[in-house]
Amino acid sequence: VTRLPIAVTVNGEPCEGDVEPRTLLVQFLREHLGLTGTHVGCVVGECGACSVLVDGALVKSCLMLAVQAHDREVTTIEGLAKDGALHPVQEAFVNAFALQCGFCTPGFVMAAHALLERNPNPTEEEIRHDLSSNLCMCTGYVQIIEAVEQAAGRRRS
Amino acid sequence: MTAHAHIGQRARSKEAPRHVSGRGRYVDDLVLPRMLHACILRSPYAHARIASVRLSPAVVAGNLQVSGSSVRAVITPEDIKRLSRPFKPGRYAAGLRVPISEYAGAIDKVRYVGEPVAVVVADTRAAAEDALELIEVDYEPLPAVASTGAAVSPDAPLIYEELGSNVAWAGHVAYGDVDDAFRRADRIVRENLKIHRYSSTPLEPFACLVEHTPERLTIWCNSQSPDVIYDALTEALGIENVRVIVPDIGGGFGQKIHLIRKYAVLTALMAVKTGRPVKWIEDRSEHMMAGGHSCEQEFDVEAAVQSDGEVLGLRIVDTDDVGGSISTLTIHFTNKLNNLFNTYKVQHLRLEGRSVLTNKCPVVPNRGIGKPGMCFVWERMMDRIAQELALDPIAVRRRNLIAADQFPYTTPNGNIHGSGDYQTLLDRVLANVGYEEFRKRQSQSRVGRASPKPSGEGGSGSPGEPDRVRPTGERLLGIGVVIGVEPGGRNAARDMAIFPQSKQMPGAGGVEGATVKLEKNGSVVFRLGSPSCGQSHETTAAQIIADVLGITPERISMAGTFDSSLSPWGVSSSNSGNNFHLYDVGAVHGAATRVRDKVLTLAAHVLKTERSVLHIEEGVVVGRVPKPASPQPLAAEAGGPAVETVTFAELGKIAYANQALLPPGMEGGLEATYYHSHPHADPLMLPDMQGRVRAQYTFSSAAHAAVVEVDSETGRVRVLRYVIVSDNGTLINPSVVDGQIYGSAAHGISVALGEGFVYGDDGQLLTLTLLDYGKSTTLETPAIEIEHFPVPDPFTTLGQKAAGEGAAIPSPAAIASAVEDALSPFGVKVRHLPLSPERVWQLIRDGKSAER
Repeated sequence: VTRLPIAVTVNGEPCEGDVEPRTLLVQFLREHLGLTGTHVGCVVGECGACSVLVDGALVKSCLMLAVQAHDREVTTIEGLAKDGALHPVQEAFVNAFALQCGFCTPGFVMAAHALLERNPNPTEEEIRHDLSSNLCMCTGYVQIIEAVEQAAGRRRS
Repeated sequence: MTAHAHIGQRARSKEAPRHVSGRGRYVDDLVLPRMLHACILRSPYAHARIASVRLSPAVVAGNLQVSGSSVRAVITPEDIKRLSRPFKPGRYAAGLRVPISEYAGAIDKVRYVGEPVAVVVADTRAAAEDALELIEVDYEPLPAVASTGAAVSPDAPLIYEELGSNVAWAGHVAYGDVDDAFRRADRIVRENLKIHRYSSTPLEPFACLVEHTPERLTIWCNSQSPDVIYDALTEALGIENVRVIVPDIGGGFGQKIHLIRKYAVLTALMAVKTGRPVKWIEDRSEHMMAGGHSCEQEFDVEAAVQSDGEVLGLRIVDTDDVGGSISTLTIHFTNKLNNLFNTYKVQHLRLEGRSVLTNKCPVVPNRGIGKPGMCFVWERMMDRIAQELALDPIAVRRRNLIAADQFPYTTPNGNIHGSGDYQTLLDRVLANVGYEEFRKRQSQSRVGRASPKPSGEGGSGSPGEPDRVRPTGERLLGIGVVIGVEPGGRNAARDMAIFPQSKQMPGAGGVEGATVKLEKNGSVVFRLGSPSCGQSHETTAAQIIADVLGITPERISMAGTFDSSLSPWGVSSSNSGNNFHLYDVGAVHGAATRVRDKVLTLAAHVLKTERSVLHIEEGVVVGRVPKPASPQPLAAEAGGPAVETVTFAELGKIAYANQALLPPGMEGGLEATYYHSHPHADPLMLPDMQGRVRAQYTFSSAAHAAVVEVDSETGRVRVLRYVIVSDNGTLINPSVVDGQIYGSAAHGISVALGEGFVYGDDGQLLTLTLLDYGKSTTLETPAIEIEHFPVPDPFTTLGQKAAGEGAAIPSPAAIASAVEDALSPFGVKVRHLPLSPERVWQLIRDGKSAER
């Protein structure tokens, strides 16, 4: 079996690994690096639970091979909090009760973070449009949208 | 106890910080040394005989290398039969005419696409998946039965030959004098209704990790009902020392109660066989085809009604498509006992049921189980009765509602609705949605479309007075207003109502435990007897303990998730049936009350005072001394500086480390476990001679109003507003309850608008992905507006009622009602779900052609 060496910067730290060509980025993150905050809900790019940032762009890590992340910068949910303090988007999700079982949550937080980086003051319609990349079976999305609105408000203030 | 400082507050979530930072801990996150990975070979056929299973010689020799990894073990149907025992028939299979053995995997026949046939374990998941190709199964395909209609035809192939028919169970319940009600009626209103197959599709599929050591078998499993797994492992493997650990669960909704036991057993078999830990993680497609569906239900309904809208009685024939397993035969039938009369004071009802086997996925509980169907029947019939009698649909409902002064109200089948105010729920929802203004706007919009004459009164669009307006525009507005109950708190004896002859009682009432411990440093930890699938049990329980003990929730934490060896659990210890609010809340409250008692006893001794003068402020016990009697009694008695307060930390140190300061005879420690049963479980905990039994113990209720817009060209339905007024009794954390209502409403709406499973006539599932299945995203899901109208329950610990799946029960009916209202210009009747664009378009087309 062929194994390929890769070097990826993950949450600011250089990481190396030997992976099969077919290894998905999400498998590399979870199984090789132990970053289990990135979840697998469908493995076909429909649910968004595995969303991460690759060079700042929102990516479903089940739709990308680990080898494609070679020489690139990946940010996972574990990389958002700084010095033990939750990121404002994370804090907003907590305050707004924007989660129940928590399985989709890392993906939604990453998607919301990516949206606010691009558009710091989105309308509800823009939030709904952007977050339609991710599925949540528990919340009916109401409190998730409130959380993104809260996070945007905090950024403005 | 004094006024609540924490109960009723939107206390900060205890679970959320770990989940937003990726520190939740789910089964797939766990890794054990030398762990192997399992993968399951599943049937590609809906119906086939298994003629033979062959393994390649290398597999048999046990030295197979695949993809650079070793294949460690394989089990085939023959092995499953040899190494395990079939499950005992549970309460939902009690109605079988002949006993049928069901193993964890298929043995001689497959009965649905995706049924497990063989299991491979290898060093990696990828290798295990690759190795599936090395198992050769010879199937002899049989004709598949993909609908109840086909299943009951005389020449239908039999799914279980030993039953002699695909109707695996038939029976009925009847209350009151139904025939007399129909004789007395001014009119009989008839309808055929259908609700389709769907699921709650928890985002985390099934997951099991099993380790077999000489001492015991330990399973980490995302089961909602660990008691099912606990019993299944013992039944199937004959191992008594079983430990079930449930870490964080990525959504349940009922999906993770029943079928998951098969996979627990299969994974355990592999762990026993290899002597190594084995992990099995289901993938999405596996879950869609074999993880369990809610049952497709068809209802032939007759209502006996008076001209003024009074409903005298109902006759319902319920045909349930239960798929290719006998294990949950009657689950969608008996759950209808929970809301058999919905919110109505109707006295006569007969419900006849048939559980029909088909070559489709077995059925499982799912956000309400049969209850959305039962509510759909009532609420569709209320609209239909109004149309046939040319009455207002709201008025017909009001005519039949249980009145506010009738509570506690006993339904004819024995349910006791403790409290409620159904008329006010309707008043509030009509006010909040702006019903009258909407009707005016709707009427104007219809008139505005070149109407030859004004539309009917109130624009209700009754077929008796067909509205001739033909919208040439695109958008048809409609409103639907419905009402329903959310039963909560299990009575395990419920199913005996349909099996009065059964010798084996499946249990009765319910028991649930909780442990609360005040630690040496004054902080508090607790354990619950039930797992959580995201209902914020930690947050809610901490608020209750905080109020009982007099300590802030920040100093309270949950000591780990469910562990059958450590958690105090009863058989109600299930994340199902809306049990938390009744059993866990009662247990936590009881355990905290016992700890409070110990704290006060110890404090009184330490402070040398009477318990009656003590109270607790934020973790400090304070001796309140009556001033007039004696200005400084403590100082006087002690002969030194007054010690009028003692902290929890000081008490903790004494309780665990300083026997000299303990009152004589007092047990050390400050810990208590309490098992709660509903103190008002009687009357009718056990069925009486008329088959009356308390199906559940509390009854939340809600009125829902949906405003929709239907595109007449495409059939697409948009929900413009969705308004709920909900009575969940005393709210412990309103934000948590809001979340439960939002989520269950959104699911019911998505179900009504098109999410669901579709099978081909050959029994092949055509909706294997979430996209094909049609789950609503942020784009389709409406903003949902909630008003709480809590009426405390007189019989529960804090006046609380259930808050979980509730809004999934009336919401399909609300959408159906609103879409029918929108299409009333075409005289369309909505009978069947889902209201996918295709079906709505067809309804509009049929309505138009009927006009010509």
